[in-house]
Amino acid sequence: MIFAVDPVRRTPASRDAPTSMLPRIRPGKLHKHAQWHYDARVNALRNRRRLVIVLVVSGVGLALLGFWALRTVTPDVAPGPQQQVTTSNPKMGIHTRLTDEVEQWKIKKSLEMVREMGAPWIVEYFPWAYIEDQPGRYNWTHADQVVEHASRQGLTVIARLGFVPEWARPKETSPLYLDEEHFADFGRFAALFAERYAGKVDYLILWNEPNLAMEWGYAEPDAAKYTTLLQVAYPLIKAANPAVQVLAGALAPTLAPPGSEFGVNDLDFLQAMYNAGAGSYFDILAIHAYGWHFDPDSPPDSEVINFRRSELLREIMVLNGDGDKRAMITEGGWNDHPRWTRAVRPAQRIAYTLRAYEIAQREWDWLDALCLWVFRFPWDQNSYQDYYTFVRTDFEPKPIYEEVQRYAQGATP
Amino acid sequence: MTTRRRWLIAAGATAVLVAIGLVVFAQDEGRLPSFLRRDTTWQAMQGRGTWRVGLDPSFPPFEMLDQEGRPVGYDVDLAQALAKTWGMEAEIVAVGFDSLPDTLKAGKIDSIVSAYPFDERLTQDFAFSAPYFDAGVRLAVRVGSPIATIADLSGRRVGVEWGSVGDMLGRQMQRDGVDVTLVPLETPADLLEALASQQEVDAILIDNVALRQAQGAGRQIVAVDEPLESVPYVIVMPRRATELHRNLEASLKLLQAEGHLGNLESAWFSDQQTSGGLP
Repeated sequence: MIFAVDPVRRTPASRDAPTSMLPRIRPGKLHKHAQWHYDARVNALRNRRRLVIVLVVSGVGLALLGFWALRTVTPDVAPGPQQQVTTSNPKMGIHTRLTDEVEQWKIKKSLEMVREMGAPWIVEYFPWAYIEDQPGRYNWTHADQVVEHASRQGLTVIARLGFVPEWARPKETSPLYLDEEHFADFGRFAALFAERYAGKVDYLILWNEPNLAMEWGYAEPDAAKYTTLLQVAYPLIKAANPAVQVLAGALAPTLAPPGSEFGVNDLDFLQAMYNAGAGSYFDILAIHAYGWHFDPDSPPDSEVINFRRSELLREIMVLNGDGDKRAMITEGGWNDHPRWTRAVRPAQRIAYTLRAYEIAQREWDWLDALCLWVFRFPWDQNSYQDYYTFVRTDFEPKPIYEEVQRYAQGATP
Repeated sequence: MTTRRRWLIAAGATAVLVAIGLVVFAQDEGRLPSFLRRDTTWQAMQGRGTWRVGLDPSFPPFEMLDQEGRPVGYDVDLAQALAKTWGMEAEIVAVGFDSLPDTLKAGKIDSIVSAYPFDERLTQDFAFSAPYFDAGVRLAVRVGSPIATIADLSGRRVGVEWGSVGDMLGRQMQRDGVDVTLVPLETPADLLEALASQQEVDAILIDNVALRQAQGAGRQIVAVDEPLESVPYVIVMPRRATELHRNLEASLKLLQAEGHLGNLESAWFSDQQTSGGLP
């Protein structure tokens, strides 16, 4: 082969040289045959360069794709064989907190431990914004995992629905704010949820603690407006799944005085709901029953927050002709933080908790489930909230877990 | 001027402008490297002559209110002693325990000195001093007991407060194969009584605050082995308060070397301060 030699380099271009190293052509200096060889050589090198670029770009693309896939797809965890809850008290329940639990094995582990503790009921939160982040675009992956694992563990799920996506509320508002113009959107989401999980989730709680300003998007809590929400959502849910039971209320126990910016007294709010016509738009009343520092046998008193305040809510149901309707406690319990003013000692927390389950089972025939707050958090809250849990974030069972388990296995409290 | 020189001058000028822009941006955002950054917390403290310390006065003997409603306690004295080393006074601000981090973040206080446990999740916003007290769970025995380590507990009865972290750790021990019998009791005071009686239990698992209070009250008990679970109390400050952090560490070391921290502990865990303090 005849190559022109670069006078600067004084070396012929090698076979593997990049095009930047191609020999410079001196016009008119190449033989015709050599020119043909030269062109072929240049084309071959250019093609090779294109190939290298394509391969590098493809490799980088594949690597990025793989990285993205690893980040977004958690390995599937088999739900395992169908289990059943064995318990001496079928009303025992607990509020799990799997909403932000991203690792599927931890979802499974949590629910296994709930079953092993002997609680057949769980309450779990399914935020609307997590599932329908754009109108009509749904991501059910996490909800499917929670429902499937719970179902396989033999647990009955009470699904709490709320948390408004950005598209369904004005800018700069809290995710707990919902305008009346979007009540139907929420209702459609709830109906879709009821339809999707028909036979697996038979209980839906609509909203949480609407009598508190912070839970009502920092708007003024309004029993009539909440009732409107029920009136819009209830028929949509029932049309999608007539068997599902709709829970309403879930009111925060509070002694807020009239006109308080923080909230409305729960007893007053429930009566106002009935006054607004809510009675026909829910099937079960959801109750929050915190004991603060009172024992579970402290008598009900409208001026006191204690466990038996639930009986006052029940009285309001009866007074409003809703005596045949059932109730469920979907949050409640005691806290044993060493410094929180509303906490009790750890020993008291255990004793009060066992007694509360007994009261639910033996005294309150109008109650179907007592679900205490809270089984476990995905991570430490580093506040008094950590002292409501039954299991630490690393799944180490607290003594209260083991004592409740003993009780569920038949031990006398 | 050659083309090459013009390019070099242009590149240099651009680099200087970019650097100035970055410094201004970083100054606003507090993103400067520490050697360039001003510690505005420390500067404000010097301007005021006070160190604003947040604490929740509901945790004796670390912080509580005296009969006149003034905050007193180990942490109050510690804050005053530290401020004194800087020629300042500590200004105590009472804040609810759970609100302390937000109050610090909002700049309403300069630091938290409130028996505050180290919290790794807050390191994005806050810096922490070296621990000045560990409130974790200890294995405690009567003075003169042959039990010196957890390994010596085999075949022994160990008192725990039912449901407490000590109870949880005791159950863990049993699961790990340590042959102990746990004796659940209702309160830390019951634990101490049981240990004193020499009949009910051979050792107890108790948090170090309750233990030091009991020792201060004259109980003849002693902690053995390492803490079973560490709960270090630290002083919290804004992450960018580098000057304050440096001075704080130096002063803590100084107070430690001078025996001041030991004196504080003796004073606030004494019989006079702790009688009736245990539940």
